[in-house]
Amino acid sequence: MTPLFTRWMIILGSCFVCFSCTSPTHSGAASTLQLHLSGEPTVLNPILSTDASSSSVEGLIFSGLFRINSTLELEPDLAESYAVNETGTRYTFKLKKNVKWHDGHKFTAKDVKFTMDTVLNKKTNTVRRSNFIIGGTPIQFKVIDDYTFEALLPKPFAPFLMRMAIGILPEHALKDIDINTASFNRSPIGTGPYKFKQWQPAQYVYLERNSNYYLDAPKVKTIIMKIVPDTNTALLAFEKQEVDEVGIPGKDLKRYQDESFLTLYRYYDLVYTYLGFNLNHPFFSDPNVRRAIAHAVDKSALVNGVLMGFGTKADIPSSPALWSYPPNDQIPIFDFDPKKAADLLASSGFTMNPNTKILEKNGQPFSFKIITNKGNKDREKTAQMIQQMLRKVGINASIQLMEWSSFIATINAKKTPKPFDAVILGWALGLDPDGHSIWHSSQYPNGFNFIGYNNPAVDKLLEQGRTTIESSDRKNIYHRIYKLIANDVPYVFLYFPETLQGINNRVKGLSPAGPAGLMNPIENVYLVE
Amino acid sequence: MPFIVRRILGAIPLIAGVSFLSFLIMQWAPGDPTLMYLDPTVNQSDLAQVRQNLGLDQPLLTQYILWLKELLNGNLGYSYITGKPVITSIMDRLPATLLLSVSSLILILIITFPLGILCGYKKDTWLDDSITIFSFLGLSIPTFWLGLLFILFFSLHLNWFPTSGFLNPMLMEAPWLTKALNIMSHMMLPLFTIIIGGIAGLIRYNRFSMIKILAQDYITSARARGLSERRILFKHALKNAMLPIITILGLDLPSLISGAFVIEYIFSWPGMGQLGVQAVFQRDYPMLMATIFFSSILIILGNLMADILYTYVDPRISRAGKQNLR
Repeated sequence: MTPLFTRWMIILGSCFVCFSCTSPTHSGAASTLQLHLSGEPTVLNPILSTDASSSSVEGLIFSGLFRINSTLELEPDLAESYAVNETGTRYTFKLKKNVKWHDGHKFTAKDVKFTMDTVLNKKTNTVRRSNFIIGGTPIQFKVIDDYTFEALLPKPFAPFLMRMAIGILPEHALKDIDINTASFNRSPIGTGPYKFKQWQPAQYVYLERNSNYYLDAPKVKTIIMKIVPDTNTALLAFEKQEVDEVGIPGKDLKRYQDESFLTLYRYYDLVYTYLGFNLNHPFFSDPNVRRAIAHAVDKSALVNGVLMGFGTKADIPSSPALWSYPPNDQIPIFDFDPKKAADLLASSGFTMNPNTKILEKNGQPFSFKIITNKGNKDREKTAQMIQQMLRKVGINASIQLMEWSSFIATINAKKTPKPFDAVILGWALGLDPDGHSIWHSSQYPNGFNFIGYNNPAVDKLLEQGRTTIESSDRKNIYHRIYKLIANDVPYVFLYFPETLQGINNRVKGLSPAGPAGLMNPIENVYLVE
Repeated sequence: MPFIVRRILGAIPLIAGVSFLSFLIMQWAPGDPTLMYLDPTVNQSDLAQVRQNLGLDQPLLTQYILWLKELLNGNLGYSYITGKPVITSIMDRLPATLLLSVSSLILILIITFPLGILCGYKKDTWLDDSITIFSFLGLSIPTFWLGLLFILFFSLHLNWFPTSGFLNPMLMEAPWLTKALNIMSHMMLPLFTIIIGGIAGLIRYNRFSMIKILAQDYITSARARGLSERRILFKHALKNAMLPIITILGLDLPSLISGAFVIEYIFSWPGMGQLGVQAVFQRDYPMLMATIFFSSILIILGNLMADILYTYVDPRISRAGKQNLR
């Protein structure tokens, strides 16, 4: 046996030696930017996709009439200029004339019309249709000539321009084809800075510079977007310089702080985490109880305990990075103050049961359940910390972690009251402050106002905010909305996490760190060796 | 032959039953493909429209019959999430999956067979104990941890292999040999992670089956007749010891194409495991039904092959089979 064993060890050993000689050499790496995708893109079509990986790829291949610059402002992209009439219901767009699709065809207003019609077509499996329907009436899109395009709105609608940043599709490649299953969605043609070359499922997406790009020519010749789903593997691949960028979890930051091959960037993402109350719950229908809980939750402790200090506390449903964020003196703050919490609960009729150390009202102990989705470690930890904080003021909170789809099914239940007490979840904020889908009373029980928030004053302001075009007026409206919502405490707004991004030092031409991305616009990015 | 034909015919209602049951179970799980994301910019009416377009508002039985009809026409449908033909998605992933699973199975067999037999033969010696301890260590180390450790050591520190992936994208247009060697270098770490985790079980099976055989009367009588140990081991014991292994291998056949999710996830290996698990979480019914359909066919095939192999290894089974069939 021993000789047999030895023989095998020799064979295995030689395999190692043989293959280790073939470790890849990065030929052409100097002209290739290697980006990281944390998941397989689903579909490379901007009107169909809903996942982050797909939109990262689409952002390089497609262009919209507008694009979002590094300071989160809209700037013309395929549009040369636009004009809006006095009532805010007719927009006329002048389009750039020197634009070609990646296959050489000319880009015209017909492509824009085709894209909008496809979004509005009921047969298209898109979740963007409502973006172009206002009060039940679809926006009308008209081709005036090859480079002029008109949109007729049934009534003024402030978020409209932002929505025209959607990627435009080529009519010639998609006409009379079922867009839902088209092979185009796996080998797309756009007008953007990079051309699609290859997509190897679960491996990478390979893009090449568009030498006919109508804006500044991109400096990097090829971009390979590698699909590495596991965070730890992605970090190791980044260290081995197989990818040039990676998101770094707070707990791993120490490992990279003193590394010389990378630069670390930190910025607040447009995402906040909250504790939301089912407002039809007998205890949570009382605003004082909600305010008491807001006082009982130590947000700074959450930022330190959950985010390792990489984040900041949230007080309203908006981010300091956005133009609609109010000055600090206009934001109602609920400080961490357990004493105040206890007083508020006492004034609402709760008394402490000396045996159980749990508050009671009419013989009912103050017990409730917080649900959140399984697998999100930050939310799980947040739930546990809040549970302990509430225990200190005599509230008994239990936690239930749910698989994502059961979780969604629970909060989306089409009945009232919904089968949950409180929920920990996060919202990504759009660049437009419109919060209609989350706060308007019409969005309950079918909609994202699943907590059942209903404040007629907020409803009215939300409607006003959508139809007011002047941005300084809109700003005032949203300041008032945030104040009303914060005072009602339908959510305890918890924190904004900070995004930590590591970028290899060979990548230059980056924009200031912010939620619009570090490589915005991609044309400015270049590589040094 | 009639035995095989019968078994194949018997498999058809079995597969139909499996597909119907899995269809039901899938639909009973909460959520559907349109509920997978929670995005305040998405309106419920859009979701309802997509649901209607996908036919998810139809009664369950109608949905199943539609699926079955398409299947009989040789069409596995389109993924609800990507709009891509299901068969293309599976074919995209199959080569990488088979490459990894078949190579690991072959290597595991080559390693475990002699080691298991040896352990059984040298029962309760230091050799048996140390192989057992080593193999259990392999079994109890969590795969994700071992995988990361391998990447850290062999890829990052020694720079022998790439951290993850299947083929260096730069080599897209390289000659096939360069590509093959590059794929091999990507495969080494996932391969060794699977082998270390996989050998323990089979060594134990081989060992146990050898011990059992060696305790049988006919072995004792062979020894009494003065046959050499070598002859007893290789001529009398080995063939019989193989029987349980054949059962295990037959049952293992579906895992050849089902892929190994954790391994694929850690090493970004483009296999079926990731595809299947994603389909479960996204409630991508057509994709799920296709994977279940293939797995059930392979389970039945695996059992059938095991039965046929038995008749070669153990003539008693074939005789008994013939008697029963008469």
